[in-house]
Amino acid sequence: MPRILTRENAIRWAPFLVLLALVILFTAINPSFLSQRNFARIAIAAAPALMVAVGVTFIIVMGSIDLSMEGVISLTAVLFCFLVLALGGTLASGGWIAIPVILVAGAAIGLVNGLIHVRLKIPSFMASLALGFVGTGAAILLTGGNIVKFDDPTFRALLTWRILGFPLMVYVAGMCLVLAWFIQAHTRLGRHFYAVGGGEELAHASGVRVRQVRLAGFSLAGFFYAIAAILQVAKIGQAESVTGSNFMFMSITSVVVGGVALWGGIGGVWNTLVGVLIVAVINNGMVVIGLPDFLQAAVLGLLVIIAVILSTDRRSVAFVK
Amino acid sequence: MSTFIKDFIERETISRRNFLLATAAGMGAMAAPFAFGSGAARAAITDPAIAWSYRDRASAYWNSIVSGGEAFVEAIGKSKDSLVSLINEGSSEKSLADIKAFLAKTNGKCAIACDANDSPNARPVVEAVRDAGAYISTIWNKTDDLHPWDIGDNYVSHMTWSDEKPAEQTARILFEAMGGKGGVVHLGGIAANNPAIERLNGLKNALKDFPDIELLDAQPADWDTTKGTELMASFLTRFGDKITGVHCANDNIAYGVIEALRAEGIENMPIVAYDGNPEAVKLVMDGKLLATVFTNPHWGGGITAALAYYAATGAFKPSEEPKEHREFYGPTILVTKKDAADFKAKYLDAVPSYDWKDFWGPSNGQIKYK
Repeated sequence: MPRILTRENAIRWAPFLVLLALVILFTAINPSFLSQRNFARIAIAAAPALMVAVGVTFIIVMGSIDLSMEGVISLTAVLFCFLVLALGGTLASGGWIAIPVILVAGAAIGLVNGLIHVRLKIPSFMASLALGFVGTGAAILLTGGNIVKFDDPTFRALLTWRILGFPLMVYVAGMCLVLAWFIQAHTRLGRHFYAVGGGEELAHASGVRVRQVRLAGFSLAGFFYAIAAILQVAKIGQAESVTGSNFMFMSITSVVVGGVALWGGIGGVWNTLVGVLIVAVINNGMVVIGLPDFLQAAVLGLLVIIAVILSTDRRSVAFVK
Repeated sequence: MSTFIKDFIERETISRRNFLLATAAGMGAMAAPFAFGSGAARAAITDPAIAWSYRDRASAYWNSIVSGGEAFVEAIGKSKDSLVSLINEGSSEKSLADIKAFLAKTNGKCAIACDANDSPNARPVVEAVRDAGAYISTIWNKTDDLHPWDIGDNYVSHMTWSDEKPAEQTARILFEAMGGKGGVVHLGGIAANNPAIERLNGLKNALKDFPDIELLDAQPADWDTTKGTELMASFLTRFGDKITGVHCANDNIAYGVIEALRAEGIENMPIVAYDGNPEAVKLVMDGKLLATVFTNPHWGGGITAALAYYAATGAFKPSEEPKEHREFYGPTILVTKKDAADFKAKYLDAVPSYDWKDFWGPSNGQIKYK
């Protein structure tokens, strides 16, 4: 009979147990935390962040990093609003065309990011950070620093139309997550991400075309950032040059807290889902239990460290950098 | 050492040397007039260059400030581009360095309007301007012990806005809409920012007259729409139906609050905001916001540049003006539903043309220190 309580199993389920423990903790302090309505609120907060985190998961699994998300989201969100408004201002009037266009634009920006990293041999950290700044700058240039409102009721149904108590955008994010899982688990590209992240030289020697895999990874990440941008516009009904703010911290933290190793090759989109939920639950729970605001940042930091300690397998790595 | 780093250091060394030489030349040129006589001879600068030093272009507020500066330079017959933008990106060091570079470039023949980014930075900035013989007017940030009359004519004026009173007014409007009872939550700015503190204080002042209204909680939403949405959602879980009114520290937060409520299907929650941005004024007209407060950044941007400019040209002598003309509060205009349409027509649809020599008309009295 296979043993259930193995070390591997403990590590695999640790992030989920951390999430469960947090839910129990917050519920014990304020029972209204454990309600369907509050879970819907957490889900709304988590949906765009999940898309960003899923995008960057592929990159982190490859052992690279992508910090362009804030700029890419701001730019694609602003472009999306301008495009829909130019196409008549509602999805029904032809504005829906903006959705595929923006998804392709996101992937194209990701591809540029990848090309800078791979062709110019600039570390992904620097290349993506710089491209992120370019994205924010372009968004400022387009908007002139102003807010672009987009309030089509059909589009906003993503937020206002509820099925079983959860808004439509939560289901959209769920479907995109399944798509990401499919790519990760059932495509050659997905397996190659792990091969590159586990050992690039080895992957190269085994015939994996590492450069192409990296380019595909960054394009895929850009595609998911564009989904996040559209969901974010659905959530707050506007786009501006700071629409992408805070997503960098939120997504990278979530990915790590969920148990995806920053050195690559370990973890996947399910870890990311749990990580995003952990961060969203902490953010929501701290207000719900009435923690004073001057303690919140410190508590968030501490909880993140604890979550990482519990949820990553550090024994298998020789060193951490 | 890699060639990249080596080249970089070499290039930086050269550009720094050039900068120092340029600065030295500038300083020398500025010192020259003093060698020939008293300062009175150079009280008037003909055609001073004009610059605005401010934080960033990614906000409606600073854009409006700059548009005012541009309107002023156009009013004196120059092109828009002649207004030099010195963008400090939230860095006091960059703010000071940019201003010093501008002083050197113009040989001190310039007028500068400036928000020094943080209070301690104001002193080195105005001293650099004084030493170069140029003229400066500041807004928002300066320490309480720094006064234009102590520095001299070169530090023309300082304008700031007192947010406590207007925030109290919006709170009263909110409480009356709540029927004088119930629970209110406050979503604030970045906790340590002065305006954030003042706007919360305004709410607390109004609370004293409404004993049946409870302040359920006040938490920072960092001036940010997304933060506002998420904080409001968490408040709803914590307090539920106890919340019968929302006091926001700025318009951006209010946009987030409205969206968080919309997601829950809650309409008609009384909400007040601050800043008077065009989108917020529209929400006031639609009845989704009860009130917002306009600080007329367009006028502030123009008049601050105008004060420095006309002091530089010698049109007026700052030291001959009373103290309430050297340190004063900017205008605040409360926008509520009954006057929103008029307000929009007057200030937003067509930007009013101001008399840029009426320096103190719309201002709000001398600054008081606590």
